[in-house]
Amino acid sequence: MTGLNLTTPTGTLIALLPELVVTATALIVLLLNAWRHQTAADSKLAGWVALAGIGAATAVLVALWRAGLVAEGPPHMVALDGYRFASLLLVLIASAGAILLSLDYLEREDLIAPEYYALLLMATSGMMFLAGAEDLIVLFLGLEVMSVPIYVLAAFNRRSVLSAEAGIKYFLVGAFASAFLLYGIALVYGATGQTSLTAVGASIAQHGMSPMAAIGVALILIGLGFKVASVPFHMWAPDVYDGAPTPVTAYMATGVKVAGFVALVRVLMVGFGTSIDTWQPLVGTLAAASMIVGNLVALVQRSIKRMLAYSSIAHAGYILSAVWAGSRAGASATLLYLGAYVLTTLATFGILGILGRGGERDVTVDSIAGLARNRPWIAFALTICMFSLLGFPGTFGFIGKWAILTAVTAEHHRLLAIVLVLTSLVSAGYYLPVVRSIYMREPVSDQAHDGAVLPPAAKWAVAIGVVLILVFGVIPQILVTGSDQSAASFAGTVLDRIGR
Amino acid sequence: MINFLNSVSYNAWILHALLAVPLLGALAIFLAPAGVAKRLALVVTLAEFVLSAGLWWSVNTINGTMELLSSTPWIPGWGISYAVGIDGISLMMVLLTTMLMPLCVLGSFNSITQKEKGYYALLLILTTGMIGVFIATDMFLFYVFWEVMLIPMYFLIGIWGGKNRLYAALKFFVYTMAGSLLMLVAILVMVRVAAVMSGTVSFSYFHLLSYAQSPIMGRVAPWLFLAFFLAFAIKVPMFPFHTWLPDAHVEAPTAGSVILASVLLKMGTYGFLRFALPFFPNVAYSQAVEGIVVTLAVIGIIYGALVAMVQPDIKKLVAYSSVSHLGFAMLGIWAGSIQGVQGALMVMIGHGFSTGALFFLIGMLYERRHTREISAYGGLARVIPVFSLILTVVSLASIGLPGLNGFVGEFLVLIGSFREYPVATGLATTGVIFAAAYLLWALQRLIFNRLDKPENQTIPDLTRRELIVLMPLLVGIVWMGLYPKPVLDKMEPAARRFIMTVRGMPVPGEEVVPIREVAR
Repeated sequence: MTGLNLTTPTGTLIALLPELVVTATALIVLLLNAWRHQTAADSKLAGWVALAGIGAATAVLVALWRAGLVAEGPPHMVALDGYRFASLLLVLIASAGAILLSLDYLEREDLIAPEYYALLLMATSGMMFLAGAEDLIVLFLGLEVMSVPIYVLAAFNRRSVLSAEAGIKYFLVGAFASAFLLYGIALVYGATGQTSLTAVGASIAQHGMSPMAAIGVALILIGLGFKVASVPFHMWAPDVYDGAPTPVTAYMATGVKVAGFVALVRVLMVGFGTSIDTWQPLVGTLAAASMIVGNLVALVQRSIKRMLAYSSIAHAGYILSAVWAGSRAGASATLLYLGAYVLTTLATFGILGILGRGGERDVTVDSIAGLARNRPWIAFALTICMFSLLGFPGTFGFIGKWAILTAVTAEHHRLLAIVLVLTSLVSAGYYLPVVRSIYMREPVSDQAHDGAVLPPAAKWAVAIGVVLILVFGVIPQILVTGSDQSAASFAGTVLDRIGR
Repeated sequence: MINFLNSVSYNAWILHALLAVPLLGALAIFLAPAGVAKRLALVVTLAEFVLSAGLWWSVNTINGTMELLSSTPWIPGWGISYAVGIDGISLMMVLLTTMLMPLCVLGSFNSITQKEKGYYALLLILTTGMIGVFIATDMFLFYVFWEVMLIPMYFLIGIWGGKNRLYAALKFFVYTMAGSLLMLVAILVMVRVAAVMSGTVSFSYFHLLSYAQSPIMGRVAPWLFLAFFLAFAIKVPMFPFHTWLPDAHVEAPTAGSVILASVLLKMGTYGFLRFALPFFPNVAYSQAVEGIVVTLAVIGIIYGALVAMVQPDIKKLVAYSSVSHLGFAMLGIWAGSIQGVQGALMVMIGHGFSTGALFFLIGMLYERRHTREISAYGGLARVIPVFSLILTVVSLASIGLPGLNGFVGEFLVLIGSFREYPVATGLATTGVIFAAAYLLWALQRLIFNRLDKPENQTIPDLTRRELIVLMPLLVGIVWMGLYPKPVLDKMEPAARRFIMTVRGMPVPGEEVVPIREVAR
């Protein structure tokens, strides 16, 4: 345990080292682009540099984490606890995965513009600020830094009308979301006179929840609800996921969700932990609505990409259930499930990216029929992903779902638990047809899947993802302990105070 | 024998080996060339059977408690262990499973011609899953095995099944999963309640059992029981949760049907015996629940038999007969008398033998003529006498002819439940008559009548391989019909312990003697 005074510039700089490394790499990539931006090789070079930056940031992060830094003096701007480090690791994994998937995808789709990686890194640094924010202002800044590059990334395929539509749609809805969030922050500030979450929490604990603060937290919830695509703020998600280039979709589905949910957990538990009764009904309703709507609408999708978009709404509902618990177990389950979701989603979109062309919008359950015959390994990997998303025993997804169910039942909300398992059952209705089509149908023609070859970088990303899904599905102990301790390090400061 | 087993410290490793051997076998098949897949699978399943056979001698079933217990922390953070154990009931179920698997492999030698590696590997993975369900003593472990088993079965039906296989596979999967997911919530709530009372979070079966009767648990018990009930009732399947069964049975490949009927359905009744009733006896034996379950069991018996009677498809006929037979098992379990429970266990085992054999026979017939329509046959006794003879014997066993195994179980169930439920038992007895009607009528149309279809005149009789598949089943059918005592004795202490747990009182010892005499 080493103390670190966050109010001094040095302290803040050390605490923010991972973010700084990522930001610096983004600038380097940008400079690199200035004189090398013509060929596919240039684009790849930028990608590898970006990946190296992510690797360096991960190394710094692990070093900080292992040093066991704790905040000395009052909390200031950015959190310094295991929960932040664990969530940053998830964000970095999501970014690394997205880069690996992009390397050959961009070349194949003729999207040669190395700025892609600079944008991706900037979004990553935004996510990291968002996930680690201890102050509402930092939270807002993180959200914006994350969102603006992703608007551009969504519209990255200039030749595709749908990609442009995705970008503009995401931008407009995102602007609304930001406005909600900012208004919420303003109201909370008005009610408590504070922007630091810990100070807000202390003020709420002392004076109770004023109506103004309650409206404030509701608006913050709406703002973040847009970002994580929870019902009823999900309308943008299917079109944006569908229209964006597939690696970008993978990145949106994983990175944005991690950052958004971790920020949500921190705001609700640190800032409003004492008035849990105010926000629990809201979060519970959002969770149930997301699970029900997401899963039911996913059932009727033809395009796999669109189906995955709705399924990601359903997964947002599952994670919201963990957030609802508002306990150490809930915070831990949020991390664990996000981990499972990041790995599985990256691998799934990685595979989806090679099954079709031009954004993979036309990859349907029927078009992948008989994949197992020509491409047994890819078929196997996709099957594992489907079972993990379904939350089937033996996969990481099951461990995550189990953690959420444990957290929810521990807080005596059996209805939410039942909604969760019943909607999971519904999800079998759209994950299993994928498996069925792969293994139990004949391919349309013998050449049907000749193009479905994973390029080397994406192959590694998918292979590592699938292996980890299986390994952590069987021996999850290390992650269970890890996420629990991370939640404890952050909850220790908060939950003890509010007696949960 | 026991000395030899002790000398290799058999008890210390056998349960783990039974779980590991099929998995390693599946891996070996995966790595080996496709040509040897079926022989390798046969060797592995035979080895598994030989290994498991020692359990007959080594497991001490006198006390009726779980033996050979072993527990290793698996996910200690959540109180989850890899914990296994075996008692007389599990013993019989495990032996039934390991005995059937080599037959299933051997029976598939000719019928499975494509994707052999995958097929046999899945059969082996399924073996691990089934054995795991019967020996798990940790609720998490149990749940994992219970669910994981679905995947191989799903693929077996979906890839190697009949015409309508995709629909049947999905239906099978979704039905079973629906029940088990609610059970998952119930398990979590139980663990939570037990943790509040004891201060330790543990998924151990024994831990939960010791807190299951507490008043706090009592408040939520009806809901918990409902969740367990649904999971197991779907698996059994009880009327009205049986609709997945005919589809799955008909579309599955022969070995799949055999495993479904002989082992998978028994997991439902096993679940009632091991979990649902011992956990919540007060709910299970409350007047309302008892009334509903017994009514459903009797409806299942009669409805299954009546629907079986009108099936044009022989496989579907046998599928519906399962609904009827398992109704007897449910009735016996709920009767809660020693004869009833012993009878239910005998029905479970007996049904495993006779229905397994029936599915094998149907499969063999199908391989020859590629139709399961009863009306496509007639007069087979003159063309294929050996087949017809065996089919007759097995059908008679399924009907419940004294001297064959079907009789012992159903008879015990009927006397065991008569005192508790006279009316229901009376109605259930008609099920036996209907069974005679549908099977004898089917027999008449298949192997007797006139040999009027030219394409039936050239069917070859059973080959030696097919006889080898059927012989062990026939031996079992006759042996358990004539001398069921060794089997009954192995299960009796466990059955008594079950009754003691659910009825809250010891069962006097002398009651069982006359029944055994009768059964003999």
